[in-house]
Amino acid sequence: MTDKRSKNEFLKEESHFLRGTIADGLSHVETGAIADDDTQLIKFHGSYMQDDRDVRGERAKKKLEKAFSFMIRLRLPGGLVSPDQWLKLDDIAGTYANGSLRLTTRATFQYHGVIKSNLRRTMQAINGACLDTIAACGDVNRNVMCVGNPFVSPVHAAAGDLARKISDHLLPKTSAYHEIWLEGEKVADMTRPAVPDTEPLYGVHYLPRKFKVVIAVPPHNDGDVFAHDLGFIAITDAKGALVGWNVSVGGGMGMTHGETDTFPRTGDVMGFCTPEQAVDVAEKVMLVQRDWGNRELRKNARLKYTIERFGIEKFRAEVESRLGYKLGEARPFKFTSMGDPIGWYQGPDKKWHLGLFIENGRIKDTPDHHLRTAIREIAEAGGVTFSITGNQNVIICNVSAKQKTKIEQILKANGIAIATSSGMRRNSISCVALPTCALALAESERFLPELITALEDSLDKAGLRDDDIVIRMTGCPNGCGRPYMAEIGFVGRAPGLYNLYLGAAFDGTRLNKLYAQDVGKARIVELLDPLLARYAKERNEGERFGDFVIRAGVVKPTLGGNSFHSDVTLA
Amino acid sequence: MTAVPFLPKNAPFTAEEINLLNQLVQKSTPLQRSWLSGFLAGLDAAQGQSSAGAAIAPAAQARPRQPLTILYGSESGNSESLALKTKKLAAKQNFDAKVVDMADADLATIAKSKNLIVYIATWGEGDPPQRAVDFHKALMSDDAPRFDGVRFAVLALGDTAYVNFCQTGKQIDARLEALGATRVADREDLDLDFQKAAAAWTDKALEVLAPADTAPNTVVHVDFKGAPAADEDDEPRFTAENPIEAEISALINLNGTGSTRETWHAEFAVDDPGFVYKPGDAIGLYPENDPELAGDLLKAVGLESDAALKQKLVHSFDITTLSRPLVDGYAKLTGRKDVAKLLEDGELARFSADRQLVDLFESFPEKLSADQFVKLLRPLPGRLYSVASSLKAHPGEAHLLVGAVRWTSHGRTRKGVTSTYLADRCKTGGKARVYIKPNRHFGLPADGDRPIIMIGAGTGVAPYRGFIEERAENGDKGKSWLFFGERNFSYDFLYQLEWQDHLASGALSRIDVAFSRDQPEKIYVQTRLWERREELLKWLDEGAHIYVCGDEKGMAKDVDTTLAKILAETAKGDEEAGRAKLKELTKAGRYQRDVY
Repeated sequence: MTDKRSKNEFLKEESHFLRGTIADGLSHVETGAIADDDTQLIKFHGSYMQDDRDVRGERAKKKLEKAFSFMIRLRLPGGLVSPDQWLKLDDIAGTYANGSLRLTTRATFQYHGVIKSNLRRTMQAINGACLDTIAACGDVNRNVMCVGNPFVSPVHAAAGDLARKISDHLLPKTSAYHEIWLEGEKVADMTRPAVPDTEPLYGVHYLPRKFKVVIAVPPHNDGDVFAHDLGFIAITDAKGALVGWNVSVGGGMGMTHGETDTFPRTGDVMGFCTPEQAVDVAEKVMLVQRDWGNRELRKNARLKYTIERFGIEKFRAEVESRLGYKLGEARPFKFTSMGDPIGWYQGPDKKWHLGLFIENGRIKDTPDHHLRTAIREIAEAGGVTFSITGNQNVIICNVSAKQKTKIEQILKANGIAIATSSGMRRNSISCVALPTCALALAESERFLPELITALEDSLDKAGLRDDDIVIRMTGCPNGCGRPYMAEIGFVGRAPGLYNLYLGAAFDGTRLNKLYAQDVGKARIVELLDPLLARYAKERNEGERFGDFVIRAGVVKPTLGGNSFHSDVTLA
Repeated sequence: MTAVPFLPKNAPFTAEEINLLNQLVQKSTPLQRSWLSGFLAGLDAAQGQSSAGAAIAPAAQARPRQPLTILYGSESGNSESLALKTKKLAAKQNFDAKVVDMADADLATIAKSKNLIVYIATWGEGDPPQRAVDFHKALMSDDAPRFDGVRFAVLALGDTAYVNFCQTGKQIDARLEALGATRVADREDLDLDFQKAAAAWTDKALEVLAPADTAPNTVVHVDFKGAPAADEDDEPRFTAENPIEAEISALINLNGTGSTRETWHAEFAVDDPGFVYKPGDAIGLYPENDPELAGDLLKAVGLESDAALKQKLVHSFDITTLSRPLVDGYAKLTGRKDVAKLLEDGELARFSADRQLVDLFESFPEKLSADQFVKLLRPLPGRLYSVASSLKAHPGEAHLLVGAVRWTSHGRTRKGVTSTYLADRCKTGGKARVYIKPNRHFGLPADGDRPIIMIGAGTGVAPYRGFIEERAENGDKGKSWLFFGERNFSYDFLYQLEWQDHLASGALSRIDVAFSRDQPEKIYVQTRLWERREELLKWLDEGAHIYVCGDEKGMAKDVDTTLAKILAETAKGDEEAGRAKLKELTKAGRYQRDVY
């Protein structure tokens, strides 16, 4: 019988707990790349090898290899960063990366453009900020996201605590990370085992595929809880105190163009657990996926497909059997939005908080807007906490009245306006895509802002400038920008061409539906302009754009991931 | 009958010598033995001695020959090539001439010369050529021996672009006289277009120094005393005076988008079997001037309407170099006191700093006639670049690696004449005039098994591409180690893909890189040398040759110091001890530099 497991399964198995030949690869100074197999393994260390696709065409002619560099993603469960950490992270961006910090859709930081010779230094500098990048990518439990502002209520604080506890509990135990990046010497490789490692939770094969956990506190669904493998939804009593968590499983975004057995899926709420049970539940859900997930076909390996295959009842039963107790029945809850509150607001203790909109999460200085400098100066002034959101924004938390004035001055001096953008822009997300992402089929981060600018004309005509409309774009169908959860979603197909999806719910409970295929900027505006105008005229009181297009018959509602590709009528 | 050649025990040698000679003679072929007998006869003839044993008669009649020492100090090889040419000429005129490189010269021996011709270059800001520094220092020192009875003549080479034109030649000429030598021909100071004048001067000098009887010498002369510094017969066919037109078959800026550098790889195709060079040699490229600059110049002197003159300026004249002779000529021509004032102490150095010809004419404008103007100018010289290819790997081609030079000074955008000619105005498929300038002091070891260590930054990597290609073509087994430095790994790794291929094939054994701007602290090639010093010393123990190519101030000097420090460690001494070791390596031809 032939072993049909995917190539990555063998790689993991033979990697000596994620070492591979990474360390040896770092010593090859003639190339900016590492070995092919190691490019899979280095993800587990929080890094992707990439190359500058803008210059691919010229490189060979210039007798240069591809312009390789590395993306480095931080593990930041709960998303909080102190001013001191911020300054250190900012330094790294200027010293080793491309001069910018990138906030991700999973509430952490990414660096781009770190060349191989600086990888170790960068990892060490991150370590110097008391942070790491372990398991930020790869077939493991990724960064545990808990968004919103942990300082506005005890429930939010508990959500943050849970995020950190789950992250710690599910963290791989291999010492490879320390050995390769922090010690930098006496590195063992797969032919030269050092201290025997064990992975009590993962084993040598880790998970079949990535595994993402998010914690949400209703009524805000700012972490997009149903878009993740595992979600915890805070349930409170009448007084607002935490009583436990609803557990959602089987959400996930990625699909492959043209393969209808791949699809995005919203998670199923399968039950309720007490605060004390939550970490245990997280572990058992992950372990069932570890054992039941498809290890032959990576496209079919996420938890969402496992649940499609076994059914939610069977899955829940297996989780409960491993827990040794039953989950409670899911409690009622209500989400109202996915976006972040932008602008100043006060918490119960009268401290101020500033939701700072960061377009596409890219923190850099441009000639007119010194965003990176501004936040740096705020960090230098100190006394606050930074919270990163899953919408790629920053909340500057716990600001005193005096600091508030100072922060306003800093922002103004650096050309940063707090709230001038349209409701659509405020609710926009894009993935990085070109030029660094190897998977991108089209632009995303570099295109969405100008597309929104074009659409703002339509919004202005329709009088919708201040209305919150969720718009998201990704350069490929893997969906880092969670485009399938957007009222208006774009997925790259080819340079300049996108699939346009409509009709997701504003609160993140329903996927959207394909509306137009392979459309460029002009066609997109042409398609959306009349829809926005109709929406402005015909909407019911409080009706969201995503709900309107369904009521108006523009697209059919997508009621579950497995019907994402059904009932499509193209414009 | 095959008699085994054997020296009898009573031969006039020591037992050990007899043994050695027997070993040699036993293995020899009849042809070798016959050659050797002629050699020995000729040797005696050359030394004016008769054969003592009379066992073998001299092959030809000996005549009295005039001894002549031809001493040279060379940077780019011009003095050297003059010296070698003169030796051939002198031999025909019955001189017993030997050529001595200042790098190898013993001052006391030179001081005993009867007749002395000196070809001496000046480098940079009035310095002696690097390899002549020690000799120059000894000659200038108070301990220098007397040169009484020495008849001498000095030819100085230089570049009027530099303020201290022919400085070293002037010094040596004066010093020899001060030490008691007799000048038999006046010194001449020659600029870049020296060939004709040098030939005339040499003829004159030899005439003065010639022995009374200059009948052609029929003896096959074997130079026994001063072993020639280099092969004398490798004067290339295509020289600066006789360039060949080449087709530009490729022209690529090797630096990636985002780079702060601009380094051009240019391939020249020459359809002539006489176009022969070896890795390490230089290729001369004749540029054309920037037409815009020519226009500005003409405007400054009121000749902007003369299109034919503009063409002449573009093709034939040096229109950038602000030289003393030119300023002098301009002052005399115009009678301007303010221009004449520039010739006073230090003034020209101050004015000419980062200025060019156009600044002179724009600052002190006068209307000139075409004839007056052209007479001020010197011919447009070619520019030398270390060849970046092996002829074996690229038959009929020479590749150059040229850094485009651009800067701004005194409110004007400046461009390196040849580099921007190549970068801005040459096109693939176009033509350019090139020539070959052999470098006898920078080349692969004859022994292909020798390890080589190649150190270069920026365009300094050029010759090593030729070295490695050559070794790959030869199938040489010697190890090779490249130290390469530039600014940024991602954009400036010149020939990166080729080095990767050479590493994969084994033609290149090792590479270390130093990119100065990729991290907060500067990392240079010398940083890497120091880090790798233990292995480096191992390679040296194995007989490795070290090569350094690139910018003297920016790199080569620091590399030299670092090598001295590394060698000092083994010598268990200070840097001076290391320097002494480096000198030994230099003498042995194992430390070769091509720096600029």
